Amino acid sequence: MTSESIGWWGVVLGILAGAVRGGTPFLLVSLGECLTEKSGKINLGLEGTLLMGAMSAYAVSYKTGSPWAGVAAAGATGALMGALHALLVSRPKVNDIAAGIAMLIFGTGCAFFLSKPYIQPSAPQLPAVALGGWSQVAQVQAALRISPLFFLGVAVAFALQWFFRATRWGMHVRAVGDSPAAARAMGISVGRTRFLAIMAGSALGGIGGAHLTLFYPGAWTEAISSGQGLMAVALVIFARWNPVQCLWASLLFGGAQAVGPSLQAVGISTGYYLWNASPYILTLLVMVLTCSRKRTLVGAPGALGSPS
Amino acid sequence: MMTIPPVVRPAKPFDLELVKVTKRFGSFVANDQISLKVPAGTFHALLGENGAGKSTLVKCIMGFHQAEEGDILVHGHSREINSPYDAYQFGIGMVYQHFTLVPAMTVAENLVLSRPDTPGIINWKDEMARLREFMQTAPFKMDLDTPASELAAGQKQKVEILKQLYLDSKFLILDEPTSVLTPSEADEVLGLIRDKVKAGDLSVLLITHKFREVFGFCDEITVLRRGQFAGHGLVKDLTADDMAAMMMGGQRETKIVPKAVRERGPAGLEIKGLCANKDNGVPALTNLNLTVHEGEVVGIAGVSGNGQRELVEVLAGQRPATGGELVVHGASYHGTRAETAEHGFFLLPEEPLRNACVPQMSVAENIAFRSFDRPPMTRAGCLVSRAAIRSFAQDLITRFSVKTRSPETPIGDLSGGNVQRAVLARELGPGTARVLIAANPCFGLDFAAVESIHGQITEARNRGVAVLLVSEDLDELLALADRLLVISHGEFVYETTPAQADIKTIGHHMAGH
Amino acid sequence: MAIPTGAVVVALALFGLFCAFQGKNPFAVFAAINKAAFGSWYSFQNTLVRAAPLMLTALCTALPARLGLVIIGNEGALVVGGLSATAAGLACATAPVAVVISVMTLAGMVGGGLWITVCGALYYQRGVNETISSLLMNYIAIAVLNHLVNGPMRDPSSLNKPSSFPIPDDKMLPAMGDSNVHYGLVFGLVACVIAWALMEHATFGFKVRMIGGNIRAARMSGLPVARLGLITCFLAGAAAGIAGMIEVAAVHGRANESLAAGYGYAGILVAFVARYRGLPIILVATLLGGILASGGILQRQFKLPDATILVFQGLVFLVILFSDSLYGKFKFFKEREA
Repeated sequence: MTSESIGWWGVVLGILAGAVRGGTPFLLVSLGECLTEKSGKINLGLEGTLLMGAMSAYAVSYKTGSPWAGVAAAGATGALMGALHALLVSRPKVNDIAAGIAMLIFGTGCAFFLSKPYIQPSAPQLPAVALGGWSQVAQVQAALRISPLFFLGVAVAFALQWFFRATRWGMHVRAVGDSPAAARAMGISVGRTRFLAIMAGSALGGIGGAHLTLFYPGAWTEAISSGQGLMAVALVIFARWNPVQCLWASLLFGGAQAVGPSLQAVGISTGYYLWNASPYILTLLVMVLTCSRKRTLVGAPGALGSPS
Repeated sequence: MMTIPPVVRPAKPFDLELVKVTKRFGSFVANDQISLKVPAGTFHALLGENGAGKSTLVKCIMGFHQAEEGDILVHGHSREINSPYDAYQFGIGMVYQHFTLVPAMTVAENLVLSRPDTPGIINWKDEMARLREFMQTAPFKMDLDTPASELAAGQKQKVEILKQLYLDSKFLILDEPTSVLTPSEADEVLGLIRDKVKAGDLSVLLITHKFREVFGFCDEITVLRRGQFAGHGLVKDLTADDMAAMMMGGQRETKIVPKAVRERGPAGLEIKGLCANKDNGVPALTNLNLTVHEGEVVGIAGVSGNGQRELVEVLAGQRPATGGELVVHGASYHGTRAETAEHGFFLLPEEPLRNACVPQMSVAENIAFRSFDRPPMTRAGCLVSRAAIRSFAQDLITRFSVKTRSPETPIGDLSGGNVQRAVLARELGPGTARVLIAANPCFGLDFAAVESIHGQITEARNRGVAVLLVSEDLDELLALADRLLVISHGEFVYETTPAQADIKTIGHHMAGH
Repeated sequence: MAIPTGAVVVALALFGLFCAFQGKNPFAVFAAINKAAFGSWYSFQNTLVRAAPLMLTALCTALPARLGLVIIGNEGALVVGGLSATAAGLACATAPVAVVISVMTLAGMVGGGLWITVCGALYYQRGVNETISSLLMNYIAIAVLNHLVNGPMRDPSSLNKPSSFPIPDDKMLPAMGDSNVHYGLVFGLVACVIAWALMEHATFGFKVRMIGGNIRAARMSGLPVARLGLITCFLAGAAAGIAGMIEVAAVHGRANESLAAGYGYAGILVAFVARYRGLPIILVATLLGGILASGGILQRQFKLPDATILVFQGLVFLVILFSDSLYGKFKFFKEREA
């Protein structure tokens, strides 16, 4: 069966499949960013973390033959990058944004540098969860082959929601992010809480990278991320710092990314390159529509981005 | 040798004693051999001027600071208090001057979070049941599901106190808890705490500089002055004059600046129907109308947080107005650089380093902010002459006795008083001011500095400057103002003159009744 | 300047360790970099050719930084500047060379300038974080570049690497004298000197520094904050736009994906190390230009990948940030003693 035979439904299906497939890294990275920002710090360096995660996942999966070892390695690498970022931003006079740019360049450089031996060989991929068995249409079956990391992401989204509301540590993170002075007065260690939040958030970012090299697109290239780690920052704003809303926002962004390729698949290639810009334009639009100089956003951590 | 019993959270109030506690910051001695005793079940006041070392001393009790010398005796045993958690274990709790509630969290979340033994996973159903039970016995009622950010200042203060009662603290330290409350709210809160003390449930150490609160609620006082012990006694044995003498060291003589008798001049500043919002978009000022005439000081009194800050920010061009108009010398005014220069519209904002200075630029550059873009400081139309700025600033630095190593020192390195003097030099020094906005100009300064600033303001008025003075210090307003307005919830609710002023009536209006 | 210099030395040491881990002799690597960058007049010319766009893209971050804005849209402004310059140059390709170059320069400045002004406007109008918006605009600029060189502007004869129609050879920016260094270097040097005079000695710079130091104090002094901010953003984008123009008019001769070669991102680092000041940018851009020029040698002689340079840049950045916090500390102690 060719894609023409299901016609325009192919486009819709492509976008929906892309929403899940392309949205998974967005989901994991934005949850990581959400956790980081809830503690009051911004991590622009998640882009570098994502690339390091993608690279180390691919390398370890190739070396060990186990994609799950790759995922674990991506998480560990992410946590390590997070520790470095956290160490940096905990210093006096270090601006989150500048530290983020530094980590972005450093992470990207390290990922590209260390990945050289892994460009050619193909690493074992994560097994897909096939939910399309009920359908006879090949495209539907293909679209419903879903990354196990997507389910992980959904679980983490709901778990984080619960974590912030009903656990002591979660409430500590919120307190530290909203009012470090109040947290300190309650005897909460602001530095340690932020350190752990940034580290855990970066680990999620690293796992988001694992999806890129171990599921979709499923190989290592230097252009594999193209800014998804940065878009996560905007996505979190769009989701109003709510983990479950991060899920919906990620699906939207994943879908936007898939518009160009889906149109091309049915033979419409006009503006293909412009469609590639759609996630960025969408992000920018979201920020323009949701930001305001006049008031702080509902849900924004009170101390976000201010020096500790 | 006496054995020290293990720490058990006390079920009843206990004696707390400080013995010769010394705390230094570098070469600065914040507390010098201070001793103080609070017997169980008493209400003790710690008195002193700003900077006398009161906050440092209680922070030593709370474990934020560790004293270099001396002892803290809890129930007769010398104890190390290394963190607020240790203090909690001893049953000591503190209500801070600044709120320590997490704004985004509800009252219930704030209360539960404040408990050091909060379980890792919180069963909200059980917790809420327990909180409701606690609320039954609490002196004030509070809705548990309201986010702290939506509470008014007075309610926040009540939650802070509830928090300590919820934690079952038996020794309560209150750091100027009434500074954000109206007089009646203050009486209510302190009265309820006083009842708890009388019932033998609590000891209290109250930091204050309001004699009214001392006489109304306290049993005993200890006075600090410049980091040293300056006196102690039972309230019933002392008069206000005794206490003032201890606090000031007997050298306070308010020098009253002679106010020239003047005809009321033409309108200098007119505020017409002004509206503005707070940071969160909620209206702060609604339809404000006011005229300040040349040669007159108009004072604005109010409990902080009733729109004063927003008013000054709108006048300073730091906050957009959402409605209304400013008219200066009969012309519509928008705060552009040309207009500020033309009308001599100058300001002494509160927190001058935050509002009126660029900390990393030099003292000289900061002093030149009003005039760097005009000759003689500008050459060839667009270049700034450093030499001209320096000589201009040098003269003002001398005249206003700004203590700085050199005019090139970054202004952020100066002490608060000297920053204030530098701003005063910039705004009033050249003598071109015709409208002056002053907001809490003396906050946190010592007597000498306060006197000099009051003198400068009155002198400006006598010269014919239209002065708007926004202050939280009623004494300052009564001393300087020709007319006095009370602001409450962003509106002017009362007008009087210092001569006819009645403190009770003013307080009544400040409270928004 | 002592702190950045010290930090670069520490970063070099870390980089040496990194090389040692890869089994390369760090001293041999340093010697090779030095030789490739500054070893001979020939290699130094190579360095200068790379330094020219770096000086200009560095200004794109450096100028708004004095205002307190962190703009990292250098790459995008360079691409848009290059595209606008190409379009304008092609439109008047028959005019004399001086006219063509002037028109291209102007178009590059306007294109790049407006591109960054958008970020400034979003910030001042809507409070949109300028760092994120300028970064997103990089990707949008590259998408626009790809769209144009694959579509409306495509020269059908460019098969492997889709490109625009070429600027005629005799209308390109020539080399200086008999060297290989083109006049783009002059553009870079002049722009840095102007930026230095504007920021350190002009009333404009005084105002910008007031805004960057404390926006509340600037507002109180009656400064038109948003207008000055937008002008600065325009100047910043214009500088990066000229860099794009130079890359087209002096190096590639046409617009294609080679425009987005990373000069924008390297410019961020140059601005940061030079503490956002015009004259030090000239020096730092030359140093980094030398390191970029040595990339080929590292690859051929040591089998070190291109990304080595990126790792080094990241290390310099991290070490400087870290040393900044120490610097604050020392100063703090000094004040307390005084």
